[in-house]
Amino acid sequence: MAAVPVLFVIVGKNEPLYEAEIDTSTGIHSSSSGDLSTRQNYFVLHSALDLVEKSAWTTNSMYLRVVDKVNHQQVSTFLTAANVKFMLLHSGKGEEVVKNFFNEVYQYYVKLSMNPFYKFDTPISSKAFDTRVRAAARAYLS
Amino acid sequence: MATSKCSQAGQQLWAKMPKVGGYTRLCFAWSVIGFLVHTNSSYRITHQANAELFALTYGSLVTELVRDHEDPIEVNKQLDKIGKSIGVRCVDEFLAKADVAGLGLASQCQSLRDTAEVVARMGFRMFLGVGAECGAFSQDQKSFSIYFHDNPLSTFVELPPAGDDQMGDDLRKLKYSNIYCGIIRGALEQVNLKVDVTLVQCTLKGDEVNEIRVELKEVLADGAGDDYKEE
Repeated sequence: MAAVPVLFVIVGKNEPLYEAEIDTSTGIHSSSSGDLSTRQNYFVLHSALDLVEKSAWTTNSMYLRVVDKVNHQQVSTFLTAANVKFMLLHSGKGEEVVKNFFNEVYQYYVKLSMNPFYKFDTPISSKAFDTRVRAAARAYLS
Repeated sequence: MATSKCSQAGQQLWAKMPKVGGYTRLCFAWSVIGFLVHTNSSYRITHQANAELFALTYGSLVTELVRDHEDPIEVNKQLDKIGKSIGVRCVDEFLAKADVAGLGLASQCQSLRDTAEVVARMGFRMFLGVGAECGAFSQDQKSFSIYFHDNPLSTFVELPPAGDDQMGDDLRKLKYSNIYCGIIRGALEQVNLKVDVTLVQCTLKGDEVNEIRVELKEVLADGAGDDYKEE
């Protein structure tokens, strides 16, 4: 199985606030995954949103684990206190690993939301946040 | 005891305020909070005020100003103005407390160099809880710089990138911590030193250190004896 890049998306109330596609494979990255699979990824994530809302009521913890599986891909979700969804599309990473990644990103997100220039539930344009998330993804998910 | 006196005075002031707009109220609220914060972080009272509350309150003040005025230059001016009215007040508190604490303020400052030392080393430590250094005196000893690394006001702040229209204007021109300039200007004016203060470097803009340049314009004659004048 070729190493599929993971897709990390932060979803607010009405729209995605942030997205990052992170290539976690350390070797030569395959060019086979093109436009088609990217679109399919978004489709999978979007359809998982309903399942996120459903499973949010089944647990007390913020980490909702894997909420949806499509073929080889899984969607893990983390729900912050303000109902902002962190969603990660991956091909079977360990639950703990993903949890740690989410916790790290959550820290960065909290730091970002303390910034007076960031308005809640608006797209995230901070470069520092982006680099931090990517670094975290590389550290935890590869 | 002191608190109840404060709150009484506060209520009286507040009662006088209905004719002014929300913005003035906000300024007022901030200066009250600022007052509480630096009362607590002074030498005598050991427990510290919550730095996060302080930083977040200042942050919302600045963003409110940005929303109201749009032009960052105008926001800088407003911050300077607010700072001045804080500085005018806190110089008294500073002199009273610094004296009480007996931290080497043995006599009056004899030159601008002394003043710089006092402002940077004691003022910053007392009101903000961070250390600052002074340096870069000019040839004629009429201007100097204050350097400090930790800026308690900008704890969580990250200026939005240049192309970001969320705030409407180019915030690169915004001097986020410009309130310091006003405070120093106001405080020194109370002790008869007319100065120009500018924020030269700011860590928010990627500089190594925060630098505030202070330039002495004139020593005001009013109230000061001849022996007090510069040189």
